[in-house]
Amino acid sequence: MFQTLQCHILFNNKKTGLHLKQKYSMKKKFSIYVTVIIFSVFSSSCTKERYIDEPGNLLPKTVMEDENLPSLTVNGAKLHSEAFGPKDSTLIICIHGGPGGDYRYMLNCKTLATKGCRVVFYDQRGAGLSQRFPKSWYKSQGSDALNKIFYDELKGVISHYKTSSSQKVILLGQSWGAMLATAYTGKYPNEIDGLIVAEPGGLKWDDVVDYISESRSFKLWSETLNDATYIDQFMTGKEDQHEILDYKAGLMGSTNAIVGDVGSDLGNNAPSYVASRSGAVVNAASYELGQDTKPDFSAGINNFSTKTLFIYSSNNKAYPDSWATKISSAYPNKEIFKAQGVGHSGMLNQVDFWTTTMEPKIISYIQSL
Amino acid sequence: MKTFTIKSIILIASFSFFQNKISAQVINWKNISKQNKHLLHVNVGAEYGVTAGLGYHHLIPIKSFPLWIGGEFSTPGGNKPADDFKLRVCAQIRIAALNHFQFSARVQGISRRFQNQSVTLFNFGSDFAGTLGYYRKHWFLGAEAGFDKAIVTHFKHSDWYKENIYFNVQDGWYEPATGGNFYYGLQGGYSMKKVDITLKAGKLLQQDFKSQPLLPFYGQLGVNFRF
Repeated sequence: MFQTLQCHILFNNKKTGLHLKQKYSMKKKFSIYVTVIIFSVFSSSCTKERYIDEPGNLLPKTVMEDENLPSLTVNGAKLHSEAFGPKDSTLIICIHGGPGGDYRYMLNCKTLATKGCRVVFYDQRGAGLSQRFPKSWYKSQGSDALNKIFYDELKGVISHYKTSSSQKVILLGQSWGAMLATAYTGKYPNEIDGLIVAEPGGLKWDDVVDYISESRSFKLWSETLNDATYIDQFMTGKEDQHEILDYKAGLMGSTNAIVGDVGSDLGNNAPSYVASRSGAVVNAASYELGQDTKPDFSAGINNFSTKTLFIYSSNNKAYPDSWATKISSAYPNKEIFKAQGVGHSGMLNQVDFWTTTMEPKIISYIQSL
Repeated sequence: MKTFTIKSIILIASFSFFQNKISAQVINWKNISKQNKHLLHVNVGAEYGVTAGLGYHHLIPIKSFPLWIGGEFSTPGGNKPADDFKLRVCAQIRIAALNHFQFSARVQGISRRFQNQSVTLFNFGSDFAGTLGYYRKHWFLGAEAGFDKAIVTHFKHSDWYKENIYFNVQDGWYEPATGGNFYYGLQGGYSMKKVDITLKAGKLLQQDFKSQPLLPFYGQLGVNFRF
């Protein structure tokens, strides 16, 4: 268009010969043309208003906005959840990390259904595609918050999928999910028939804080740290603007070189819809509640005499052998397994490693119970 | 709302392209002269990350209202030097002077970019600030307060994001304003014949007056070269 405009001016110059006044007029016209062009370019860029806090724009909708998502309602919350495998066989309850992660990265565990297990996935309250709650709700639960938010919810999920009192229940938790699984088993040791924990960060609150610091000790000049902080001048969200806060949290959480996470590889286990979402508010609220109540996630686990399968990874620099030894010491009866060549989430989210190493290990554990 | 956005973009873009000069963030208003109308500014510090910046500004003496116009380019740390940056064009004018006390105002047009594995953001914003200070020939100290608004932001998500996080994400310009932060703090400096050493530091607060950015403070050490 610019070339057309220039040709147009040249043509007029040759044909008529311009006086100064005419030249001035042409310059003025040219300015008008340029203004129109700029206006047009930006107009076409803004053909539709988009709001960063509108569900579905930047992040997938939750079960509250999308009724097609598989869900269940327990403990006053609508949770994104699905299960695979024979309904009456051993229940494997997969518990994701965070708080505020989602179960998508654990979907390789779905293949346990083909080995005769009933595999259950659920996004915790406020996380993944489950229902959101305001931060004030979490904070209002007071000293009993962990019970009301997480343990009662897990109890409800187990109850929803359990078809008989004799059906075995095995908890499989990763990271925060492993801490939650441990705490629940310590609270209800007679209701759990097997426990698989993959890198619980810590079980005593001080250990949890130490692990978080260690696993996020990014260098001052690093790309990761500056990406995490730099975006705050582009987007800001109020305390309960979940769409914005979840989006920003998700941008930070995809990879982490310190813990050896490289992103999920689910192969054919990936669902037909690509929809993953962080829960920023439940994450922040849980940490604040932890600071207030200093919970001990290992309480009562000494009463669980069944063997626990304790897994940690070689690529997680924040989880050396010494840390694994320290954290696993809480379990009275355990088998420790070091997953070689993968990181914090890679134990479950790398399909090749899952198929060749992790799945056989877990099946062997289940058979040993 | 669409009209507002387009106007904002054109205003800021026009300001960026046609002024094409920059002002330093921290100026000793008592130590300026018509012989040194040019000012080169380098700085390192923390502002939504660890940053380094380079700026140039030019003095337009308007009797009692000296006006600096110019700009600054800054980028945060990281192993990808050009993926994130901020370009500011600025006009800074002294509005009032009483003995050694002076009050100045600053308006900035901002264009900035952010890129990571998931998304590339490009934003047009504005920044309005005021500074009240005590200025002597060789030193100065002042307090500043301002508001940085992210007016419109363009989102372009990566294939990785669409394949791993959300396949139906909507790319394009987002409005109304996607963010805003207040800031307030102190600034000061020591001035020599043609060089100023400047320092400023303060707090950041999101526009809801409750939430804080992940890095809730800013600080900057700078050097001005006048010529």
